[in-house]
Amino acid sequence: MIELRNVCKVYETSAGPNCVLDDVNIRFSLGKSVGVLGRNGAGKSTLLRIIGGAEMPDSGEVIRRGRVSWPIGFAGGFNGSLSGEENCRFVARIYGRDVDLVVDATRDFAEVGAYFTMPVRTYSSGMRARLAFALSMAIDFDIYLVDEVTAVGDKNFQEKCRAAFAERRERSSVIIVSHQTKTLKEYCDRYAVLNRGRLEIFESLEEATECYEGKLAA
Amino acid sequence: MSLSRGLLTQIEVVEALVLRETRTRFGAHQLGYFWAIFEPALWVATFYALYAFVGREAPPGMDLISFLLTGLIPFSLFNKITQQVSESINGNKALLFYPQVRPVDIAISRAVLEVMTYTSVFAIFIVSHALFTHEWPAVEDALMVILGFALASGLGLALGLVFCSLGVLTKLADRVRGPLLRPLFWCSGMFFTANDLPTNVREAMLYNPLLHVVELVRDGWFTAYHTRHADIGYVAMWLLCLMALGLLLERSVRRKIEVT
Repeated sequence: MIELRNVCKVYETSAGPNCVLDDVNIRFSLGKSVGVLGRNGAGKSTLLRIIGGAEMPDSGEVIRRGRVSWPIGFAGGFNGSLSGEENCRFVARIYGRDVDLVVDATRDFAEVGAYFTMPVRTYSSGMRARLAFALSMAIDFDIYLVDEVTAVGDKNFQEKCRAAFAERRERSSVIIVSHQTKTLKEYCDRYAVLNRGRLEIFESLEEATECYEGKLAA
Repeated sequence: MSLSRGLLTQIEVVEALVLRETRTRFGAHQLGYFWAIFEPALWVATFYALYAFVGREAPPGMDLISFLLTGLIPFSLFNKITQQVSESINGNKALLFYPQVRPVDIAISRAVLEVMTYTSVFAIFIVSHALFTHEWPAVEDALMVILGFALASGLGLALGLVFCSLGVLTKLADRVRGPLLRPLFWCSGMFFTANDLPTNVREAMLYNPLLHVVELVRDGWFTAYHTRHADIGYVAMWLLCLMALGLLLERSVRRKIEVT
């Protein structure tokens, strides 16, 4: 369970303060996956980092129960000069897991082949995201935070991700942020739209899409 | 989260960070290990040659190499830890992606790595010097030497925390660090002992806690040298105040760090 209460986040920019989250209230319960729609720059990644605890809100509070993943996506989290394997070892250690089990499971899932023992900076962005995805599956969280990467890899890999999530659906849930409505439907039970710092919640994708596209047109 | 659980997580995180920092610093080619030894070796060689050239000798009861080393190692511990810790946030933002990793964890792990490096370097130098001269150092008080190293490391960590937190607020912090710390190179007793200084100079120099640290180390190392001026309490005050300031600043800037 994760709950955000009156969360605000403002970034100081050279063009004045930019209010990314303005009094956001939402409750994510276990077993219910949520998709958050928002256009580029709407603050989706900030929202995920605040949910995960990598950043702190300026005001308001975040209540977290259960093991929450780091935001899984194309960006961040890996050291480019270390190999995929070394990065996995590090992450397994900071989450207090058995290092060898995690490394083996990640190697099997990630499909990066011989690149697994090469520096991460030599990876394509897709390979990086696949590694992050596989690693998060190996570590086993209650709540997964996913940043735009549902369309990672080829059809085969996507199918594997779907299967992996389906298998743990009863014990884990997902919070996905995306600027596309398409990929959300397969994973989510509830939807939200983030626009100008406000988060609106919808029970169906149709309502959310309607609102989102209305905002896009405006 | 309970205190013991929190502590356990922190230990896990610091341990993982130390292993990772070792990999990134010393790298796949082991060239880093070479540099870690080569840099202080070059330094000692340079000043050894300089002393020989101008005909200066180590203070009575000390051999020149040990005199230089007992100044260089505590100073380097302080200096390198300050530098590494000051840069711990800016060089490692990707790590803050993981919520259990806090800037202070990165700072501690970097300090730990420097301590391991410099104590190894010290040991290697002392052993090779002893093998070369066939004379093992008669360390008078090993605990005092260890205390001196610990105080130097603590001061470095504390000051590094102050600088790395200030660095989040302003770029100026990184700019002033070098010029601000450079005088310490000449005032920390690497080239003299407090006993040898004229009274008025000594009184001014003794405001520098690092001079006290170097005095402690030499007092512990050499049977023939007894410092009349080192004050552990004075260094401890510096350490406590700087550490409190550093930790306070680190807490207050945490939410200002933009993770990218």
